[in-house]
Amino acid sequence: MLGPYSQKLTADDHRELLNQLYLARYFDVRLIKEKKRGRLRGTLYSSHNQEAILVGSLYGLKPNDWISPIHRDMPAFFLKDFRNGWRNPGRMGMTIQEVCAQVWGKQGSPGRARDNWSHIGSKAKHIIHSTSMLAGTIPAAAGVVYADRLDGGDAVVLTYNGEGSTAQGVFHEAVNFAAVHRLPVVTIIENNQWAYGTPTDMEYSLEDFARRADGYGIPGLIADGQNVFDVYEKVMEAVDFARSGKGPSIVECKTFRAYGHGDHDDDRAAKYRPTDEVAQGRSRDPIAVMKRLMVAAGTMTADQSKEHPAEGKGAAEVTDADFPPVVVEYLTEGVEFAVNDTVPPGEEGGMWVFRE
Amino acid sequence: MAATAEAPQSTKKNYLTALKEALYEEMAANSDMVCIGEDIGILGGAFGVTDGLQEKYGRERVIDAPISEAAIVGVACGMCVNGKTTMVEMQFIDFISCGFDQIVNFTATYHYRTAGEVAIPMVIRGPAGGYGGGALYHSQMNEAWFANSPGLKIVCPSTPRDAKGLLKSALRDPNPILFYEMKELYRQRAIEEEVPEGDAALVPLGKAAVRQEGEDVTIVTYGTNVYMCLEAAKTLEAEGFRAEVIDIRSLVPLDEETILESLKKTNRLVVVNEAPRTCGFAGEILARLAQEAFEYLDAPPVRVTRLDTPVPWVKPLETFVLPSVDKITEAALRVCRY
Repeated sequence: MLGPYSQKLTADDHRELLNQLYLARYFDVRLIKEKKRGRLRGTLYSSHNQEAILVGSLYGLKPNDWISPIHRDMPAFFLKDFRNGWRNPGRMGMTIQEVCAQVWGKQGSPGRARDNWSHIGSKAKHIIHSTSMLAGTIPAAAGVVYADRLDGGDAVVLTYNGEGSTAQGVFHEAVNFAAVHRLPVVTIIENNQWAYGTPTDMEYSLEDFARRADGYGIPGLIADGQNVFDVYEKVMEAVDFARSGKGPSIVECKTFRAYGHGDHDDDRAAKYRPTDEVAQGRSRDPIAVMKRLMVAAGTMTADQSKEHPAEGKGAAEVTDADFPPVVVEYLTEGVEFAVNDTVPPGEEGGMWVFRE
Repeated sequence: MAATAEAPQSTKKNYLTALKEALYEEMAANSDMVCIGEDIGILGGAFGVTDGLQEKYGRERVIDAPISEAAIVGVACGMCVNGKTTMVEMQFIDFISCGFDQIVNFTATYHYRTAGEVAIPMVIRGPAGGYGGGALYHSQMNEAWFANSPGLKIVCPSTPRDAKGLLKSALRDPNPILFYEMKELYRQRAIEEEVPEGDAALVPLGKAAVRQEGEDVTIVTYGTNVYMCLEAAKTLEAEGFRAEVIDIRSLVPLDEETILESLKKTNRLVVVNEAPRTCGFAGEILARLAQEAFEYLDAPPVRVTRLDTPVPWVKPLETFVLPSVDKITEAALRVCRY
């Protein structure tokens, strides 16, 4: 049962969405493999099993809209405005070279590798620069669209947050501020059930987090975070609501963190989380769900759905042959660029404290 | 109010009026400037610094914010990311701790972590300082928290001219700036003075002012303490010592040059500030000058600060912990007679 927004998606959209899911997944597993090969250092924060949230939420945005991703949203940096051409340098998203250069800590990073992992952004591409202080970007997101509205714009901002960060005081302050001023802020909660090592029943006392929205007098929507159509549907509902001047929303996307908080935590996460819970949480791979939906919609045959069987596989089991070649080629361009790029000179560590 | 044509009206202004003028002038000159804070619009601010501003510039540009210091700072920072200049009022500078992370981790680092892509032209201003019986949470000078956070400039005017001139300069600077206003000086008649209009009022950041010249001891200070140091200088003079009183006005950046030049002449240093002793800014000035001017010093440099205590409420207690004219005089005499 598709909603009004998803119904309008064409067969081409379906194929594009599936490829984006594959790309987000491939980004994740390729980095793990690069690290195992010794070509990459640093902690990786996996979006494995949560890709439908990124792909589905970004797909309907206008180029000028803003986003504010966090550590588990690394693919969002290049998926933004992806419909305007994966390799189109003029689109309002980062290139794969820029994102990979950041992962590798090289000069080609948009932030010249001054802070690690997802702590990048681009004023030019309308991506807010995050820090490690989760939920701390929501006030800035509200400020960005406040300024845009003053200038007569109609941009919307999507902020991404784990359910864990919603217990921060700044989450409340920022969502309340956005509600009071009816700002076009769509707060996406990637509810993956675990805040590092803490389960949701130790984080908040609601059955559905989305109900928190009632307290702010704003809509709270719930999406199946494994289903790209459902995420697209609910986020577009919130985006249109926001763009029409009615104000912010919370969209809770229910999902499950497939592995550790970061790759350093994979082994421990296998112990602190019940085995059956993990098996259950991984059982609805968003790529598999998407294929089933496409077969049902007639945009893919049952035979075609057996091609590129990346779904349900971890980084250790999956190979490049499990992914469509367009996806492997695209990311490889970024990886090779980053590996061959140079690190910034040391003296840059003392630069840019102030604008002169 | 029947002022006769013959009696010339005084054009002297107090510190608070000077601040207000700066805001009105900069709001008029910069249509991209937005003000945000608690009770700054309808009420006109707890002390009236933003009085009438919302009426003139509207609710969109002069925002009455919920009691949410973290959101206030963060929202202002987001506006700056998207092309605005922002003035954030902290109702009392003591409350700034509620927005601390947004200031030191989010805003102060923005230009650095974006490799210069994004500048944050933001001024966070608010009433600060003791001597008014404001007790623990309405008396603080917490500038050292921010001096220890790279990426923030810190300003503290002591006169109406500087209040206006430095605030105007701060609002034109592309960096986040903490602007400490001395609430004890807001309406003090004794310091009222003529204050220029428009660009003539501008006072550059990072430049100290020599409030009194002298040859025997250099007293470095800022804020309300400037007047105590000038008062102490009178007693010193009676004792035969002429003090040079330097008002640094900007802590970050600090005008070390002016202090150093003075020390070459006086060879003696006393630093005074209201903040507690340990890791306070007075200690930073002492450390820098001890390193730069060791050969010029004829006596160990001394600082006069608040005790390492909170600021208590009732007068005898407050007086006990804060710097006073007596404490400054005593310290300076000790240095002079060393």
